[in-house]
Amino acid sequence: MIEFKNVSYGPLKNISLSVDKQEIAILFGPSGSGKSTLLYLFNRLIDPEQGEIFYKGKPIDDFSITGLRQNVGLLLQSPNLFPGSVLDNLKYGPSLTGSWKEGDEKRLLEYVQLPQDLRDRDVDHLSGGQQQRVSLARTLANEPEVLLLDEPTSALDNNTAEEIEIVLKELIEEKGLTMVMVTHQLDQVRRMGTKGMFMNEGTIQETGGLPGMLDNPETLELKEYLEG
Amino acid sequence: MSPEISNQSLLFLIVFVVVPLSLSYFYQLGMSRSILTSSIRGTIQLFAIGYILTFLFDLNAYIGIPLMITVMIIIASFHARKKGRDLPYVLPTLLAGLIMIEVSVLSLWLLFDMVEFVPSEVIPMSGMVIGNSMVAMGLALERMKTEFAENNGRILAALSLGAEPKQASHLIVQRTLNAALIPNVDRIKTIGLVQLPGMMTGLILGGVAPIMAIKYQLVISLSIFSSVSLSAMFVTLVMYKHFFTKDKQVLESKEAFKEYSSRDNA
Ligand SMILES: Nc1ncnc2c1ncn2[C@@H]1O[C@H](COP(=O)(O)OP(=O)(O)O)[C@@H](O)[C@H]1O
Ligand SMILES: [Mg+2]
Repeated sequence: MIEFKNVSYGPLKNISLSVDKQEIAILFGPSGSGKSTLLYLFNRLIDPEQGEIFYKGKPIDDFSITGLRQNVGLLLQSPNLFPGSVLDNLKYGPSLTGSWKEGDEKRLLEYVQLPQDLRDRDVDHLSGGQQQRVSLARTLANEPEVLLLDEPTSALDNNTAEEIEIVLKELIEEKGLTMVMVTHQLDQVRRMGTKGMFMNEGTIQETGGLPGMLDNPETLELKEYLEG
Repeated sequence: MSPEISNQSLLFLIVFVVVPLSLSYFYQLGMSRSILTSSIRGTIQLFAIGYILTFLFDLNAYIGIPLMITVMIIIASFHARKKGRDLPYVLPTLLAGLIMIEVSVLSLWLLFDMVEFVPSEVIPMSGMVIGNSMVAMGLALERMKTEFAENNGRILAALSLGAEPKQASHLIVQRTLNAALIPNVDRIKTIGLVQLPGMMTGLILGGVAPIMAIKYQLVISLSIFSSVSLSAMFVTLVMYKHFFTKDKQVLESKEAFKEYSSRDNA
């Protein structure tokens, strides 16, 4: 589904990876190791300086760039909500292609465990956790085939985070989504992932099945990171 | 009031310079030197312009007017460019914008018989239009840069959702135009109440009847209002495109990302 071949960009050095359809790949590693940058590359907010990225077996720049961005949804690390109401934010993506239908917001608010009466609330009056969930719902609104999530639950308490994890897993089952998720909460890595990619200083240091690679780390760096 | 200020009377202007000069001296502000040099410099500049204008006014209108307007537009473009040196295509954009504005304003003046095509009318009026447009363009450039920097995350979010650069920068264009227009609306609203506009003051001093002066002032104020709006709009609508690459990515996103992610990690 997704393949990076010797990709370099800024802090990223010679990254090769692949993620299969319906897989939940988790990118984890210390802050500043290049996880967010890797996600930007795959949504084409930036292009590699070297190397190539493939999507569904074709070079990523064979696709129309706006089409690709809708298809490969990216949730940025900060909510970056647009001024206006929750509803304004949720319909932003679908409205670009005219595919928004009135009432779609009900389902989206449910996905992210927000009460329906937040619909018309000004986004400035939301808590940090609520903003993060509106941002996630806004990304889901485009109905992407691939979800790139940059620390989607970092501002949420454990219970809410786990509820959202369940919703995300259901979406993957139901709609056959593929997901790449960045997190540095190790318990989340364990709960969510089928494949783990440990990033360190701009490279993917170790790849493996989850939770296996957490229990038997091969590299010294991962071992040290886990002992934290 | 005497119809003309004599050179002897002009000499007594020294008194007006002596006031700030002695202030600086007694309170040891250390500004005596710059007060003196700037007064002298200003005087020389004004007289030079006076002689240039006399020369231009004596020329054939079809030579004097285009000549002076060209010079004003070039100087204004270079001046406004300082606010956006780091952006691509700033100078041609400013030049094109000022030419477009001056040509349309001048055509309207002549078409509706508001201004006569003589240097003594066209040049000072055009000077005010070009000068005010220059300031508006500079402000728009500056404002746009700030808005793009402050809203970098939102632009990335919009792009990531599949927005075209035009859609992603809608908010910024809106805010820039808003900021450019508000002071002008305010200025028109209070015109004549707070301060008599400069041109009107000049005409009245020159012996023109107040109602006549007001007519001229109306022509110039509204011309400035509309050219200032137009120049801000032109610069904004042309320049926002240059913040993006042809691949609909944020230009120099490397820099932008560095800032953005370091803010995130903080
Ligand atoms: N184009 C670039 N060139 C050099 N450094 C960059 C560039 N883009 C980002 N960086 C830096 O690379 C580091 C990794 O960034 P990031 O991808 O946000 O890491 P993470 O998400 O793992 O915390 C950060 O310190 C960032 O400032
Ligand atoms: Mg990050």
